[in-house]
Amino acid sequence: MADLVIRKLGKTYFDLYAGRHVTAVADVSLEIHTGEFVSIVGASGCGKTTLLNMVAGFIPPSEGEILLGDRQVKGPGPDRGVVFQGFALFPWKSVLDNVAFGLKMRGVPRAERLRIAEEYVALVGLAGAESRYPTELSGGMQQRVGVARALANSPELLLMDEPFASVDAQTRMTLQEELTRIWEAKHPTILFVTHDVDEAVFLSDRVIVLTRSPGTVRAEVPIPLPRPRSWGRLVEDGRFKALVARVLALVRDSDPPTNPAGGQERSG
Amino acid sequence: MSREAGTQPQPSALRSRVTDAVWFVAPLLALVAAWAVAVRTFHVPLRVFPSVGDVLLAGLQEFQRGSLFEHIRQSLTRVAVGTILAILTSVPIGIAVATNRLVAACLAPILRFFAVLAGIAWIPIATLWFGYGFGAITFVIFNAVFFVVAYNTMLGVASIPQVLRNAAASLGATRWQIFLEVLLPGALPNIVTGIRTGMGYAWRGLIAAEMIATNAGLGYMLFLARDFYRTEVILLGMILIGTIWLAMDRLILAPVERRTIERWGLARRAGA
Repeated sequence: MADLVIRKLGKTYFDLYAGRHVTAVADVSLEIHTGEFVSIVGASGCGKTTLLNMVAGFIPPSEGEILLGDRQVKGPGPDRGVVFQGFALFPWKSVLDNVAFGLKMRGVPRAERLRIAEEYVALVGLAGAESRYPTELSGGMQQRVGVARALANSPELLLMDEPFASVDAQTRMTLQEELTRIWEAKHPTILFVTHDVDEAVFLSDRVIVLTRSPGTVRAEVPIPLPRPRSWGRLVEDGRFKALVARVLALVRDSDPPTNPAGGQERSG
Repeated sequence: MSREAGTQPQPSALRSRVTDAVWFVAPLLALVAAWAVAVRTFHVPLRVFPSVGDVLLAGLQEFQRGSLFEHIRQSLTRVAVGTILAILTSVPIGIAVATNRLVAACLAPILRFFAVLAGIAWIPIATLWFGYGFGAITFVIFNAVFFVVAYNTMLGVASIPQVLRNAAASLGATRWQIFLEVLLPGALPNIVTGIRTGMGYAWRGLIAAEMIATNAGLGYMLFLARDFYRTEVILLGMILIGTIWLAMDRLILAPVERRTIERWGLARRAGA
């Protein structure tokens, strides 16, 4: 297990539509400690997904560096598990084979990897669905598979990119509660990207607010709410409400003044 | 796999499949009946067009002489060898091409050009290179299948979302593992479609090639019969060519294609 250290990270790319260089992320420095749950929030287009993709190794940074322990991030790797917004499950593999994928890639013998995969399928509440295929599952169930697949590989860091944004509101709250339960039981290190302030406050130990265009760290808000957390307990909790209001103010304050409503969510 | 209930023929699915088959065969039987009636009514001479009985008799004779089986065996062997060689080479090449966007963009028009170029267009050059016989005809089949499958494989790989490759890489897959575990299975529905299309071209090309470049096979049988005015053998050959292709396509290729596409979730099961 190792801390994640991001130093002066920046990403500039050439925007074909605008015909000029655009800075998506600028001068971001932050640290995430082992066993910590940290969320990054910001208005849409603030570069939070770009930031996560650089940590995952999917896109190279233009400036700065990313260190996981003493290793520099140079590309994607099994030390950083990723849970995607669109689930990204392999449609030709069963639930169990999806969850066992990382272990198979790393050469874990079949019997053992299936045993471990079954354990994680049960952890996310999908016991009994092992032999089903992704298209036979609801969005919420698919994302449980996505979480189990990432966790079964025992990554040092779990990266979650708006993982619950494409499921309905009821399912989202259930998944948030299950994620807290899993985190409280296993304490994986999690970097969680979302535009949903309630979600960030509910889940995290610490919330980092990014400014918009270019995305840079505006504020860090510690979330000292007691655990275990549940919506039933927190929804009327004054401290929770106050923290949400504070983070929301920071997010909205980073909006351009021409768009006081807070901006529509754009995909991507 | 049998454990998935959705792909098992359920009673209603079975009934609809039988209904489909009846609806498919009935018009063909009606055509045969019309043929029988027409030949009798208009007293068509055998040299112009054979009767149903003439064709059945010709079939029986050819069958007893053993030459019918030999022609079919030769034709099927050529198709099998040409197709298998083409699949083994075109799939890896299609995937390799697709993983490099620039190469894919450059090669797409070329592959597409050759994919639509009829198999028989290769006969003259094939006979110059390989002489008359197995080599030339197999080469024609190979070309008919190769370019279609390579082109479809490329399309298939290009249609795999980048996020699936990212997911595999973040789970520790190497480049080779991504090839085997993501690109190959991800492109499979397109590959199967390519094989089905390519074999359709190959079968037509085969018959044409056998008329020109060999001394065995269904196409040869057809062409030889012409020299002896044996219209009943010509008709027999035509019926066999059509029937064998329909059987291969409907009993093997189409079900495989349907099942792959269903499993891969690209198309919902009928009624779902």
